[in-house]
Amino acid sequence: MTLMLADRPGELLKALQPIARNGGNIISIIHEREGATGTYVPVSLIVDFPSYENFRKARMALEDLDINIIKSEEVVERVRFTVLLIGRFDLKKILEAKIKDLKITGFEVSAPTSKEFCVRLNIEVPKGEVDSAVNELKKISREENVLFISSL
Amino acid sequence: MKAIIIGFGFIGKRLIEVLNQKISLLKRIDRSFKVIGVSDSRGYIFNPDGLDLKVLSKISGTHEYSRYFHEGSSLDLIEEGDADIMVEATPTNIKDGEPGLTYIRRALSIGMDVVTANKGPLVVAFRELKRLAESRGCHLRFEGAVAGAMPIFSLINECLQGDKIIKISGILNGTTNFILSKMHFEGSTFEMALKEAQERGITEKDPSYDVDGIDAACKVVILANALMDRDVRFEDVERVGIRGISPEAINLAKRANYTIKLIGVIDRNLEVAPKLVPLNHPLCVHGTLNALHIETDLAKELTIIGYGAGKETVSAIMNDIISVMKGRLAGQSSLTQS
Ligand SMILES: NC(=O)c1ccc[n+]([C@@H]2O[C@H](COP(=O)([O-])OP(=O)(O)OC[C@H]3O[C@@H](n4cnc5c(N)ncnc54)[C@H](OP(=O)(O)O)[C@@H]3O)[C@@H](O)[C@H]2O)c1
Repeated sequence: MTLMLADRPGELLKALQPIARNGGNIISIIHEREGATGTYVPVSLIVDFPSYENFRKARMALEDLDINIIKSEEVVERVRFTVLLIGRFDLKKILEAKIKDLKITGFEVSAPTSKEFCVRLNIEVPKGEVDSAVNELKKISREENVLFISSL
Repeated sequence: MKAIIIGFGFIGKRLIEVLNQKISLLKRIDRSFKVIGVSDSRGYIFNPDGLDLKVLSKISGTHEYSRYFHEGSSLDLIEEGDADIMVEATPTNIKDGEPGLTYIRRALSIGMDVVTANKGPLVVAFRELKRLAESRGCHLRFEGAVAGAMPIFSLINECLQGDKIIKISGILNGTTNFILSKMHFEGSTFEMALKEAQERGITEKDPSYDVDGIDAACKVVILANALMDRDVRFEDVERVGIRGISPEAINLAKRANYTIKLIGVIDRNLEVAPKLVPLNHPLCVHGTLNALHIETDLAKELTIIGYGAGKETVSAIMNDIISVMKGRLAGQSSLTQS
């Protein structure tokens, strides 16, 4: 995010406090002197927040301090994993599940001639959502009477 | 040091053979080492001056050593024998831990050091036994009870003393690993692979104990309680077995460079379930091998691989016996393996 900070001592520290309080880990700070207006200087920060919620709270706290946020952009790190489901079920149940921002990036089903239906899914979710996604998949599998196999 | 051995079956007999083979090693540590009693379900043999290990190696039941045989319970041997250490190897019973639990309680309460290979008492009453051992200043060691010959407790307690254990996961049952390996390499069905395991004599009498993850879940409980300072019971382990694994599922896993293994996991949760394991992961070992992957704050990751059952288990029991002997000589350092 880029903040417009008053060009006087202590302003940066003031801005960093709500970020730290909300679990933000500061990766880089750049003073963009060439964009300074005289009284204000743009400061670009790259911050790693544990979740979107922390990011949102930090942004609100900055606004409460009357700090002008001129740009804020979110890059969500995503994690891929593979699961296997054994037994017949409706794939729509997974697509319609309440799993935040889930993408199925690949799948393979057993041969149509095989006795038992099974499917391997490649799944992608935001980092930090893996546990809840796996738990939700487990729950659906139980409801559908399907054997769920997660990866190590 | 005077030892008694309770349970003279597969493990008890192998132990006697190894004690006989390695008696000079034991005598070098403690010149007075001798086995004064051995019991099974029919009775016990007892000689306060020491039993002849060569004779013991040749008999199939205690009653055959008629000169010193007594009809009576192992408790009589524990109470009257005046031994310093009891090695307990009676059958596992995870419902109430008996008969091993009573024997271990009794031995500890009269100040005897205990080495056991039996999961039952540890699953049912770990905390109680640990406290009892500590209050009596006795050793309680159980390396052979979990993952056979693999020195998981010694490794963590002696070599990772400054580490915090974050997670332990692994293959804790050799029978299910044998079955899943057969399915992976030979395309067998679960039923075919189980039958072969039974024919080779590597399953428990009740195969459910292996294939439904009961045995692995018991080991998860002991590892959690002994190494991660938890106070959990068998019912706390989320458990799924391998009966539902089809050849098609193994095939799909293989095509994405995975295989399926029954994995026990101890972290915030306790779980035994079939998992997809990458073919290049250190836990991906085959046949009857077991493997344990330990994650800690300092060492980060460690894996040990070895035989989780069978005669190799005696290695762990021997190390426990020797540790107790050395501990006694050095003035009783660490008493329990936790
Ligand atoms: N076998 C392995 O590979 C292995 C590996 C690791 C741990 N363990 C554990 O080690 C223990 C022993 O295993 P094992 O394979 O040696 O079993 P086993 O062959 O069945 O031997 C059990 C022995 O205990 C005796 N016994 C039964 N009830 C008794 C009682 N009430 N009082 C005194 N003795 C009694 C039996 O007597 P009888 O001979 O008269 O029936 C037998 O001698 C088990 O807890 C097992 O889980 C085994």
